[in-house]
Amino acid sequence: MVKEKTFAFFLGCLMPNRYPAIEKSTNYVMEKLGYEMLDMERATCCPAPGVFRSFNKVDWMVAGARNLCIAEQLDADILTVCNGCFGTLQEINKHLKENEEHREMVNEKLKLLGDYEFQGTIDVRHVAEVLGYEIGPWGIEDHIIRKLNVKAAIHYGCHFLKPTRIREIESSEGPTIVEDFVEVLGIESVRFKEQLTCCGAGGGLKAYSGDASMTIFGEKMKNIDNVKPDIILDICPFCHLQYETGQDYLNKNKGCNYDYPVIHLSQLVAYCMGMDQEFVGLQYQLMGRDFIFGGEDVIKEEEEAV
Amino acid sequence: MSETKEEHREYKTDEDFDRAFFKDIERKTNIWQCIQCGTCTASCESGRWTALKTRSIIRKVCLGDLTVLKDPDIWLCTTCYNCYERCPRDVRPTDVIMELRNYATKLGNISPNHRAVVGYLQKFGHAVPINDEVRKRRVELGLEELPPTAFKFKQEGDDKDLKKFEEHLFDLPPVEDKEEKKEKKEEK
Repeated sequence: MVKEKTFAFFLGCLMPNRYPAIEKSTNYVMEKLGYEMLDMERATCCPAPGVFRSFNKVDWMVAGARNLCIAEQLDADILTVCNGCFGTLQEINKHLKENEEHREMVNEKLKLLGDYEFQGTIDVRHVAEVLGYEIGPWGIEDHIIRKLNVKAAIHYGCHFLKPTRIREIESSEGPTIVEDFVEVLGIESVRFKEQLTCCGAGGGLKAYSGDASMTIFGEKMKNIDNVKPDIILDICPFCHLQYETGQDYLNKNKGCNYDYPVIHLSQLVAYCMGMDQEFVGLQYQLMGRDFIFGGEDVIKEEEEAV
Repeated sequence: MSETKEEHREYKTDEDFDRAFFKDIERKTNIWQCIQCGTCTASCESGRWTALKTRSIIRKVCLGDLTVLKDPDIWLCTTCYNCYERCPRDVRPTDVIMELRNYATKLGNISPNHRAVVGYLQKFGHAVPINDEVRKRRVELGLEELPPTAFKFKQEGDDKDLKKFEEHLFDLPPVEDKEEKKEKKEEK
């Protein structure tokens, strides 16, 4: 049995190395909600499902299994905040639990990397799914001290829900898990055209052909700009990076004038739970530096009665 | 034969390679179930803006046309899984493209940018390494200057993890020498 209310916190690459404020926020949120967060020492890149799986699927599984083994040794489920990390680790974990032949093959190769053996004792979770289903909108209400009044364009990304037969979270054609959750934080989610399409960063495309990646993204931004949200809300640091650097690219090269703040779900929830805006880290980002969350303080009923 | 051995097998002739390729793709995907309906191409986010035509790639493989392994289009997929979700014959086109990319890599058809990313993983343990500015931000936010990943241990002098990565994982075929290629052309 894994430890209850404890997570091995898988950092990945982009969050600790580009958007540390998301790491700060996630720790803040989970600890306030009563979870213990364990460091996964010596962890590496998940490795990314777009690039590394394309080069060598077996090595991709071995490197991913090594990360899973680190969490198994901590006896805790893994928490990720990134669709890519979630995609890789959840898929490898599930596959190796079910496929004995591949498990043996991977374990054989894992010996070359050190004292690791995949056991299949833990699960891999995504912060959006933990917040959306385990805490739930009903559970977060007691913990928030601020309620916003903000219109958000929500971007799910691809690997959080798809492939649905492996993720088993909810339908990929009409998900509502994030919308339902952030409603209690005072977020009005605005629908826009082709909301669920890819941001254009995945699959190694951003590295392979920046132009193609930006063409896909430019269309996405056009559709978002049509509904004029206050913020863009994502659940993945790679989409986060694409929205940040992509807006900057379109402004510089395509004559656009976008300045939508890009906010990860963890950052938003941390702010509503009382973290100061300076730790949300918008000042470090490229877009929406002047955006102020604001919002009203939530007055608890018991306090009113006193 | 175990899969590890197969990965490192040397293909003596092109025919050996072809046979291994088709055997492998048959085992790992549902490609023969394809009825060429085109749902994949119609659902493709990348294909709307680029030359990627998933249906046509799958058709070529079914017909034994291995030029797809040199086709740059297979690298335009964003792995968004729309086709995978919607395919009425459960071909799992995303998995097919992944297998094709694996074989393309074996043939050395990898972009320099992708090679660089593999280098980052082996050197830093991350596809995106940290920089000085982010180190400063981390301290300002009250986090450890370096996250407790393999790279931190390497900085502290313990580089056994990443050495093993470099030794045993993602061994890409060497870059073909451009000058050598030129000479060959001139000879022709």
